[in-house]
Amino acid sequence: MLRRTFLKTAPALGLLSACSKSPRIKLALNWKPEPEFGGFYAAPYSMHGLDVEILPGGSGTPTVQMVGAGSVDFGIVSADEVVLARSHGNDVVALFAVFQHSPTGIMAHASRNLTSIGDVLKGGTLALESGLPFARLLERKYGFSHVKVVPSPGGDITSFLHDENFAQQCFLTSEPIAARKKGAAVKVFAVSEIGYDPYTTVLAISGDSLRKNPDRAKAMVAAVREGWRAYLDNPKAVNQQMNQLNPTMDLETFAEVSQVQKPFIETDDTRRNGLGTMSRERWETLIGQFKELGDISQTIPADECFRLL
Amino acid sequence: MHARRVTNTVSTGVVVQLEQVRRVFNNRQVVIAGMDLRIDSGEFLAVLGPSGCGKSTLLRMIARLAEPDSGRIRIEPNDERFQTAFVFQDANLLPWRNVLDNAALPLELMGESKTKREEKARAVLGQVGLLDALDRYPAQLSGGMRMRVSLARALVTEPRLLLLDEPFAALDEITRFHLDVQLRELWQRRGMTVIFVTHSVSEAAFLANRAVVMGRSGGAIKLDRTLQLPAVRDNELRGDPRLGQEMRLLLGAIEE
Amino acid sequence: MKKTLLPPLIPFVVVALLAEFLVREGFVRAYLLPAPSAVFRAMISSRAELFQALLSTSTGSLTGFALSAVTGIAIAILLSSSRGVQRAFYPYAIFFQTVPLIAVAPLLVIWFGFGIETVIASAFVASVFPVIANTLSGILSTDPPLRDLFKLYGASPLVTLFKLRIPAALPQVFTGLRVSAGLAVVGAIVGEFIAGGGLGSVVDIARTQQRIDKVFAAVLLASLLGLGMFGLINLFSHLMLRRWHASEQPL
Repeated sequence: MLRRTFLKTAPALGLLSACSKSPRIKLALNWKPEPEFGGFYAAPYSMHGLDVEILPGGSGTPTVQMVGAGSVDFGIVSADEVVLARSHGNDVVALFAVFQHSPTGIMAHASRNLTSIGDVLKGGTLALESGLPFARLLERKYGFSHVKVVPSPGGDITSFLHDENFAQQCFLTSEPIAARKKGAAVKVFAVSEIGYDPYTTVLAISGDSLRKNPDRAKAMVAAVREGWRAYLDNPKAVNQQMNQLNPTMDLETFAEVSQVQKPFIETDDTRRNGLGTMSRERWETLIGQFKELGDISQTIPADECFRLL
Repeated sequence: MHARRVTNTVSTGVVVQLEQVRRVFNNRQVVIAGMDLRIDSGEFLAVLGPSGCGKSTLLRMIARLAEPDSGRIRIEPNDERFQTAFVFQDANLLPWRNVLDNAALPLELMGESKTKREEKARAVLGQVGLLDALDRYPAQLSGGMRMRVSLARALVTEPRLLLLDEPFAALDEITRFHLDVQLRELWQRRGMTVIFVTHSVSEAAFLANRAVVMGRSGGAIKLDRTLQLPAVRDNELRGDPRLGQEMRLLLGAIEE
Repeated sequence: MKKTLLPPLIPFVVVALLAEFLVREGFVRAYLLPAPSAVFRAMISSRAELFQALLSTSTGSLTGFALSAVTGIAIAILLSSSRGVQRAFYPYAIFFQTVPLIAVAPLLVIWFGFGIETVIASAFVASVFPVIANTLSGILSTDPPLRDLFKLYGASPLVTLFKLRIPAALPQVFTGLRVSAGLAVVGAIVGEFIAGGGLGSVVDIARTQQRIDKVFAAVLLASLLGLGMFGLINLFSHLMLRRWHASEQPL
């Protein structure tokens, strides 16, 4: 009696488990939903046979570890994180670089009449993530002896607004806009000024996953590319969607930022080779800079860091 | 019927007069309903009764730790401050003070100088046989020793009225007998009025001149008897048939 | 010595050996869990930096803790004075317990600047409540017969407070201090994330550099700091309570 019941229900159970066996593909962001991720929200995943769940992040979300460990299928990282990770044995591979040029910069009050990035280090307070390579390159080039270095406030501009002599690391596409809205006159300097220019907001996958399922990765990249095209052409609808998820930024700012970030995303290179493209030279330069800083002990082959699909 | 009341030659006690004393608890339960009682100066009164009959409440009211809801309690004479001392069921010593400082506490609270109060404390501790334990802390003492410190503390102010609420209940029988004798001796030497609440019929009979048995409802006095026993009470009396007689009478009144 | 150090050391050694094995054999990836040998090496190679950081965090947490102890006890004494005062102000004390420190720390930076003052303030906010709660509980739970005794001899409420209720509360005060010490270290490190300096800064920077071995080394030092403070409090507790409290008597 029991055997018959079991034989009857087994196929049904099998079917059920098969359905639940295709879990959603997880994409982990390294910040809250903002225009820098617009293309990911706009991407037509289902048209490429993918069921993607986007996981918003925040300050300190360890996306490069999450991808390497396999707890998410894809993650957003920056190129310098990829280099460091690989040097520690964490096999992550970059697939699509949204920002062709690093939008990392330093924001200072216009009243200080500073003309170059080096001027910022002549006095006052500077909030940086001192562990990052660009911070250490800055220190090498200009020295920190005249400026007070404090931890980066992670997107918060309260200290900046409070103090004329306070400068902070920022995303050129976001904090300066927020500061201007609050009535501050700002001057920004791009970190690429000192020659440090890693790809940023990069879609990454674990080497394992890429080897096991290259077709899925290919489909993902294709969907993402289309999404970014769509978002660049018309960000309004997706901005509304992201604003629902992240009410801390208002729609007006969403619109402004999505315009301001365009030149970082769409360049001559991308017009030639497609959105998200990456070159070996850029990766080699970055790896060389890490080696020089002493952050990695041996050079990593640039070809292992990225894959164009 | 009046038997010969045993009082002391040196009368340094007080008269306690209860007039229509009434005490009610929150739940409208009448603990003591209109009690009249007079305790003479230098008397050793035992108060007996079943649990919950209000004996402890009575004692606390006499000590002015609680107020009666109606009626009054007069203590004469009432000229000295702090002439009342209380010995609780637990020794209730301050654990962070040694024996000497514990015994001297009442005098300290009354503002006496350190040398004077230590002198007096030493004297009473000597009377209860604790002179070689002055530096010890309560955690290092046995139950019986702690109770003796508590007694000494009560006597250090030379009180005219000594109230004891089942002080020896938690001790073993031998220690209890010993302390009974000691208490009786201290009373005989000083002559203060003593009111001793107890559950133990044998203890009441052994210690007191007069015993009062309170009833269960409203604490009505069911028996008020002057005990027909010799003035000197020692362990020999424990086997005396007269003690047994008194005990039977008291027990009978309780069980009624 | 043997009795106190040996027992906790055994599980530590066992776990460390297990972790070393797991990482070496590849069961756990090194960038997720560093092998104890790697942590040890990081400690040695960064010893100057770590030592400085430890000093800084120690200063911040000890100062914050000391402030918590003094202020907490004082507030508890004030709260014990009347039921009305308690009802009016105790909820605000609870605020210190429930406020998420990570949210308050940026505000602290605005008020105290990017220096050790913020670290101290952060350590204080994190650790003051247990002192208040435990001290107050201790003061309010004095045995009623003892209070009767003081009443009998006409002691004023102030005298009763200082000669009876506070000494009686001492064991609970120490309980509060024990809890507070660890929280002060956590609070200091959160403060350092925002204001810079100390072990918090080492952790933050090492994290961005993906130097997880250094992160663990700093965290280990922070734990040792907490343990050290805990041990110090136990020592004080023992010295003050040994003659009279049940917790210090031999079984």
